[in-house]
Amino acid sequence: MSKRFRLGIDAGGTFTDFVLADAMGQVRLFKATSTPDDGTKAIADGLQQISEAVGLPVPEILNNADLLVNGTTVALNALIQLKGVRTGLICTAGHEDSIEIRLGHKEEGYRYDAKYPPATMLVPRFLRHGVRERVLADGTVQMPLNEDDVRAACERFRAEGVEAVALSFVWSVANEVHERRAAEIVREMLPGVYVSVGVEVFPQMREYTRTSTAVVNAYLGPVLERYVRRIDDFFVGLGVTAPIRYYQSNGGMAARDMMVSRAVNAINSGPASAPTAGLHVAGPLGIRNIITVDMGGTSFDITLTKDGKTNLSKNIDFLRYRIGTPMIQVETLGAGGGSIAWIDAMGLLNVGPQSAGAHPGPVCYMRGGEAPTVTDANVVLGYLNPSYLLGGRVKIDGAAARRAIEEKIARPLGISVEHAAHGIFSIVNNNMVNGIRRVSVERGYDPRDFVLVGAGGATALHIAALAREIGVRKVLVPKLASGLCAFGQILSNVKYTKMSACPMRVNENADWERIEQRFHELEQEAITALQAEGFARSQVLIERSVDMRYLGQVHECTVDIGTMKVDARSFGDIRSRFDRRHQALFTYCEPDGVVELVNIEVAVAGVVPPLQTGARMAAADGSAELPVKEQRRMVFGHGAEIETVLAPVYDGDKLPPGVTLDGPAVIEEITTSIVIEPGWAATLDASGVYVLEDKVAGAMAAGTVVRQSHAVAA
Amino acid sequence: MKRNVDPITLAVVRGVLETTQREMTLTLEKTARSSVFNVAHDYSNAIFNHRPEMILQGQDIPIHLGSMIPAMKFVAQYFEDGIHEGDVIYHNDPVNMGSHILDCCMYKPVFYQGELVFWTVCKGHVTDIGGPVPAGYNPDAKEIYAEGLRIPPVKFWDKGVMRKDVVNFYLANVRSRRDQEGDLRAQLGAVTVGERNLIALLDKYGVQTVRDCIDELMDMADRHMREIIRSVPDGTYAASAVLEDAGHGFGDITISASVTIEGDECAIAISSPPQIPYFINSYEGNSISGVYLGLMMFTQVDPPYNEGLYRCIRVDLGPKGTLVNAQEPAPHVNCTTTPMETLADAVRLALEKAAPERAVGSWGHASGINIAGFDARNNEEYVTMVLASLISGAGATAHMDGWHACGPQCCFGALTSGDVEILEYSYPIVIHRYGLVQDSGGAGKYRGGCATEWEVEPIGHEMTVISFGEGRKYPSIGANGARSHMIDSKLARIDLKAGEKVTETLRKNVVLQIQDGQRVSAINPGGGGWGSPFEREPERVADDVRNGFVSFEAARQDYGVAVSEEDFSVLVEETRQLRAHAI
Repeated sequence: MSKRFRLGIDAGGTFTDFVLADAMGQVRLFKATSTPDDGTKAIADGLQQISEAVGLPVPEILNNADLLVNGTTVALNALIQLKGVRTGLICTAGHEDSIEIRLGHKEEGYRYDAKYPPATMLVPRFLRHGVRERVLADGTVQMPLNEDDVRAACERFRAEGVEAVALSFVWSVANEVHERRAAEIVREMLPGVYVSVGVEVFPQMREYTRTSTAVVNAYLGPVLERYVRRIDDFFVGLGVTAPIRYYQSNGGMAARDMMVSRAVNAINSGPASAPTAGLHVAGPLGIRNIITVDMGGTSFDITLTKDGKTNLSKNIDFLRYRIGTPMIQVETLGAGGGSIAWIDAMGLLNVGPQSAGAHPGPVCYMRGGEAPTVTDANVVLGYLNPSYLLGGRVKIDGAAARRAIEEKIARPLGISVEHAAHGIFSIVNNNMVNGIRRVSVERGYDPRDFVLVGAGGATALHIAALAREIGVRKVLVPKLASGLCAFGQILSNVKYTKMSACPMRVNENADWERIEQRFHELEQEAITALQAEGFARSQVLIERSVDMRYLGQVHECTVDIGTMKVDARSFGDIRSRFDRRHQALFTYCEPDGVVELVNIEVAVAGVVPPLQTGARMAAADGSAELPVKEQRRMVFGHGAEIETVLAPVYDGDKLPPGVTLDGPAVIEEITTSIVIEPGWAATLDASGVYVLEDKVAGAMAAGTVVRQSHAVAA
Repeated sequence: MKRNVDPITLAVVRGVLETTQREMTLTLEKTARSSVFNVAHDYSNAIFNHRPEMILQGQDIPIHLGSMIPAMKFVAQYFEDGIHEGDVIYHNDPVNMGSHILDCCMYKPVFYQGELVFWTVCKGHVTDIGGPVPAGYNPDAKEIYAEGLRIPPVKFWDKGVMRKDVVNFYLANVRSRRDQEGDLRAQLGAVTVGERNLIALLDKYGVQTVRDCIDELMDMADRHMREIIRSVPDGTYAASAVLEDAGHGFGDITISASVTIEGDECAIAISSPPQIPYFINSYEGNSISGVYLGLMMFTQVDPPYNEGLYRCIRVDLGPKGTLVNAQEPAPHVNCTTTPMETLADAVRLALEKAAPERAVGSWGHASGINIAGFDARNNEEYVTMVLASLISGAGATAHMDGWHACGPQCCFGALTSGDVEILEYSYPIVIHRYGLVQDSGGAGKYRGGCATEWEVEPIGHEMTVISFGEGRKYPSIGANGARSHMIDSKLARIDLKAGEKVTETLRKNVVLQIQDGQRVSAINPGGGGWGSPFEREPERVADDVRNGFVSFEAARQDYGVAVSEEDFSVLVEETRQLRAHAI
């Protein structure tokens, strides 16, 4: 990571984003239309744009660049569209159905719904093959592995044309001999078939989670493998010799082979880099508590970072499939520019989660969309230019947006078009606020202690309104907002997460040596991998954590312990960290209660040198006139009280840094538009970040009367 | 009455109420100690207005669907004007609208500027409620007094101050005090979180606007339900369902429902035999939940749920002293599963007669086991209800096959079972099998979901296995002409095994002692089908056979479809003959 350029390529659903940073600290964003059938076409297109902008031939740029690619949408889309490969499962006989039983639960929201189907099985039952073997909870073998059963499964899979095999045995985390031997047989008998081993993919306690994770990994592995191979061939064809790195959902990069063997780790990597980018943007302003919000065409992604550390989640249902591996916690809602406004059976106005997507898209796009969307509402409200978007690259029809909202929403509800449009805006905001509560309030954090950072093209239209709704007073919108995730990726470290199941009740017989030894082994594995990739030991960063619970509890709580050595002496400290975390999350703790250790985990990072983004924009000379493009009619308000005002639209390209703009107003950048709500003001920082602040709340803060608490002493 | 409510504010208020209810639920689930709370999801959180009418209930467990409405009203009336800011009331009394004594409910009045505006309510199934048997299920009880502690409405907090003497009186009467304290704290957390969010809502919009919105939301629910009822042809429809004698010796019990539809009104009248001195009687509050479950299975209303939905529904549970309208001193603890599920069946069957195409097949009833023994690893006794053993098949609908492994009917998918490794780590057992049961789903154009089988062996000790529930004599009832020929495989049963070999099959509730080398396999019932199985596309039957949900034999007998044992293709000519022959 010491080359002249750093180039990040993020293949999204609609656009492929390119972020190029050079040694001078300049960061540039390019966009090409994605080509889902062959991602390299979009990449070639983008590289051509970069070449023209930089004035160097493509191979010269590439050979002087550290390269990073995000193939997230490949794995993600394969799962959404159920287009993974034909997969077989080998498991302990008697436990073939855990991925279909799914702990017996039906998702909330569909209790009496007669049409809500069960999740489609990634491995149909006839391809789930139980083999005779059994390991017990303490790791002892109750029944040896019947190797003939494994061979029979392989024969069957061969006949059925299976392309990937997942293996997951009960208690393989306590004794992995059977599972590994079975995997060996599969590799021997089915060469060329992708093999996904439970104890390798998710070595933690919980059979259902581990099996499901191994299955998802198998189902997507060959798809990702093909993609990676194609990308590699493409770059090799351009003369690139340096290895290409890929982005993972744990918020770090991985070497190519590591990524291919852990396809499941790519699954939601798209938004996982937002926190890194957000911290980079907020850092110079002295801010380390951020909530990133990213609104695109169909969805809204939220992450939370406290004191520079980002929320992780593991053992969650993702697109209806249980995935164990730790990922950056990304709360995703069906709330984007394309989200459709509709009136339900009871007569209530709703927005989303259905989306018009990119095709047909919002009504104003004139591609046949008939259902009014959030984007249409933003046009009617005057927040978006009524005749074009993306600096003129996309023509739109504002009158059509108006007609659709009038017909489908305003008239049935008996309200004005402006009122209906503002209603759509308010309701989608409300949904997003609820999403923000999920990463904050539900994780034991008060959102008012955070700053919102906007990513994605549509976010800045809503972000000030969201902030006002949740009581946040400061918002950051980088000029790079629409490519912020791609930017975050080139700032990220290479990071491998290693795990192990270590169930143990903590008492005087606790075997700390075994735990410490296990930590050490896991760390060595990761360090060896990083050293092979050229990292020195001094560039390696280790972060340990343990999953603990009080005796009798069902849920564990993850406790970060940094680089602490684990032994009887340090346990006191670990223990009190656990109590404190439990208190923060669940409102109480039991310092005298017996505790259990369940799993251990260590994140090992190869630290990439920080990017020098020193380039500052030239300050205004003071006399310059503000670049007002026009005065536009815009609608602002609250609930039933709305008003239409004439407000300025500024040309973001021509704004000098340091100038403060009062709301109501809109700043138009080419890839994003920023709404400054009445009572708010925006200042362009020299680092290229708009800082939006709530002036009214700020002014009141000095003389705020503290309200009497309603909480009852418990 | 159409009031002047801004439709946008209305939608926002609705969203806030839902978020509030959700956050109450999360608080409870994450902090509760007993697994019936946090794994089984056997709880419900609701918000009431000042009248008090239920303005939002979560989609938690159907067992609590209707009982909270009359219980809240009873509690409010009981204290009349004696309700103050900071009060927290506790209640579980089945005789006065509680569900069963294990469901302890906390009520917190929410005051705003000195005025009572809301109630936040949290009901949950506690680990133990005293009485002679741990966990509360005492089959030997002849009277409610022998089952456990009855709690009439009582203030645990009075004007913000905990009544230590009263709370201590309660805790002194129940087992595992530490867990119970934790659960009480969790409930208090839930109602307090609800209160906090509602006050923020009032701060923002003011009392009058919020009240108008809520009244409008209830009117909307009322209009919605009336629309559904109006779409059902007028008339009186009667049906009954039989509750098997699972070993109590009082014989099979028939519960009947008569549903009268008149325009947009619906009257539901229940009749049942006199109450019996066995714990399957149901008092009024719990029976209302059973009736509402039958109604919801038929109407399939989407959330959110408020009391407005039930304005056009009248319920008559029959004379006091009968099985589903029990009176003191009837024992009742088992009522939330048995007879609640049979009661729901009777109601849904009566409604099916009015509109067969709309009906859904019945879900597998609750049938499971508890295990107990001594864990030498940690030198302690253990006892637990095995939630995994309850996960039965769901009923098919007019649109699709029933979900596998989603029941029992009284929980309707709200339950979660524990992970195999978590259970084996927590108890000295080996779970040899946790899987779907072939041929257990009721046959139909749409097939009922498959049941599950949970097979356990103790390690190094003698284990007590207690079976409970029913569904071992009569299969789940199908809808709209669904029927099965192979009945046995659709039923629940308990297999006692020596190693892999079945030594005895039990179809009654029993208590067993088993040793190492012996196993118990708990098999619960599959779901009912929908429509004639002879109308199921043969290819779908063949696909079920390929996947082992249906056997070759059942494909022929239940569906009239011959499937090739070679390649699982449909044998077209033979199938034609089978289906022609049967008609």
